[in-house]
Amino acid sequence: MAKEKKEYKKINWKTEAKLTPGYIILIVWVLFTVVLLGWVFAASFSTTKEIYQGNALKFATGFHFENYAKAWSGGNVSTFFTNSLVYSAVSCVLLILICAPAAYILSRFTFLGNKAIQTGFVSAMGVPVIMVVLPLFSMISAMGVLNNIFANKILLIFLYVGINIPYTTIFLLTFFSNISKTYEEAAAIDGCPPTKTFWKIMFPMAQSGLATVTIFNFINIWNEYFLSLIFANSDKLKPVAVGLYGMINSMKYTGDWAGMFAAVIIVFLPTFILYIFLSEKIIGGVTGGIKG
Amino acid sequence: MKKNKAMIITFLAPAVILFCLIFLYPIIRTLTMSFFNITGVTDPMSKWQFIGIGNYTKLFSTSLFRTSMVNLAKIWLYGGIIVMSISLLLAVVLTSGIRGKKFFRAVIYLPNIVSAVALATMWLQYVYSPKFGLIKTFFEKIGWESMSKVQWLDNEHKFGALLVAYCFGMIGYHMLIWTSGIERISPELFEAATIDGANKPAQFRYMTLPLLKGVFKTNITMWSVSSVAFFLWSQLFSSVTADTKTITPMVYMYTKVFGAGNSVTEHDAGVGAAVGVILSICVVIIFTLCNKFIKDDELEF
Repeated sequence: MAKEKKEYKKINWKTEAKLTPGYIILIVWVLFTVVLLGWVFAASFSTTKEIYQGNALKFATGFHFENYAKAWSGGNVSTFFTNSLVYSAVSCVLLILICAPAAYILSRFTFLGNKAIQTGFVSAMGVPVIMVVLPLFSMISAMGVLNNIFANKILLIFLYVGINIPYTTIFLLTFFSNISKTYEEAAAIDGCPPTKTFWKIMFPMAQSGLATVTIFNFINIWNEYFLSLIFANSDKLKPVAVGLYGMINSMKYTGDWAGMFAAVIIVFLPTFILYIFLSEKIIGGVTGGIKG
Repeated sequence: MKKNKAMIITFLAPAVILFCLIFLYPIIRTLTMSFFNITGVTDPMSKWQFIGIGNYTKLFSTSLFRTSMVNLAKIWLYGGIIVMSISLLLAVVLTSGIRGKKFFRAVIYLPNIVSAVALATMWLQYVYSPKFGLIKTFFEKIGWESMSKVQWLDNEHKFGALLVAYCFGMIGYHMLIWTSGIERISPELFEAATIDGANKPAQFRYMTLPLLKGVFKTNITMWSVSSVAFFLWSQLFSSVTADTKTITPMVYMYTKVFGAGNSVTEHDAGVGAAVGVILSICVVIIFTLCNKFIKDDELEF
């Protein structure tokens, strides 16, 4: 730590000057992002009239928190929000419970078909959703699930889990293969059965990998659009992404721009807050998953 | 060993069964469906009529589908050039020893974690807005009247507007892939080059770029996989169902299979399945070409 601080204080103006064009590019980019998000955030507290006059940032009539209240209760956002939260949370837990054991087996044991399963999972990550969605739809509608709200919710979670299995398994597989085998060997000598070894020793040791992949799954499922569009027909089932799309379309007609921006911010905030606290972990995970 | 066998099966079974249900079986069935004449997606197999490659010839003789493929190719090529060059530039700047690297990197990646619907709405309703838009205000402030009056979302400009907004959201992800590639190159190599008198541009041209070949391949593959699934942005940017300016194969398939089902968009699940197969073949072709022409095995680092 101390060494880092020392380096931080030392400013070499000559090298800094050389980097100026780089700083300019980055600052322009960041500025644009901040203006984009900042303006929408500000507009969500303004009124439609002020937005149209170009005075969204002046708050002449104060802050309008009622935009949020309106969007939350009137525009169904509360339902979409709860749905998304339930879908994402339940799917993330299930994904870990299903994929962590599978990834562990694939990383540790040699058996016929191991390589084939791995190749299958990796290829599946490149398969467009459109390749699987038609048969899924016919299978599911044959089961008659789409008419029952509760069954349909279960079905959506089932789909979110299924579609993310290849990615989660491959990510964890890389992670498990980097953990030394000596722990299991020691446990085996002490007479611990392999299944117990996994849950008591390996699973807790993989915590940071499990956390990273869960963050990714959460963000992916929170933002998922195509499957939800096809399989969530009723307003009671829609997650935020599909719900927001419907709201935007209807607000074009009612002309409630301030309310629309408030809805955008409500959808945007959960992943954004997650990102503020976990950006380092997320960024590390993006590239970590690819290398393997 | 027998114990292990039971463990292998119980640990693997849930993941493999789900994989077969959600990927393996549907893929095979979609492939089969693409050779049959099927009206509704829920039709039982007994109602399917085998027509060989009929769905494919029908698709390629439909001008709307051809337009959608051209749009997709344009998104892949133009968007690819924009995203690859800007993300590489940002990655090089970020790894050049700049201060606040973590902060800049986090902000550039930010659009990737935001719901695409929210992001697209920000662009559509704010940046491109003809009444209070960011671009309009910007050009008004600097006094460029003609530019501030451009309707960015009319038919003439819509595709460009869509492309720019989409690329903005994708750059952060590819920037991270580049950055991790550059950071894996040993700094000793650059030190040696500096001692030998190579300047920064020469180092970039003759060292960084060749060493990044493998990373480039990853980037192209990832870009192609996400381009093929281009759907949501197109749906948000089009005001009518089959907007020729923004339609992509995925949107075409959606209207063909799940659409309103009027005379314009007659239901045809067989054709929808064929669209899926064509897109998958595109991904496979790009992947194969990349592996053939970009060889990274001689440069392990």
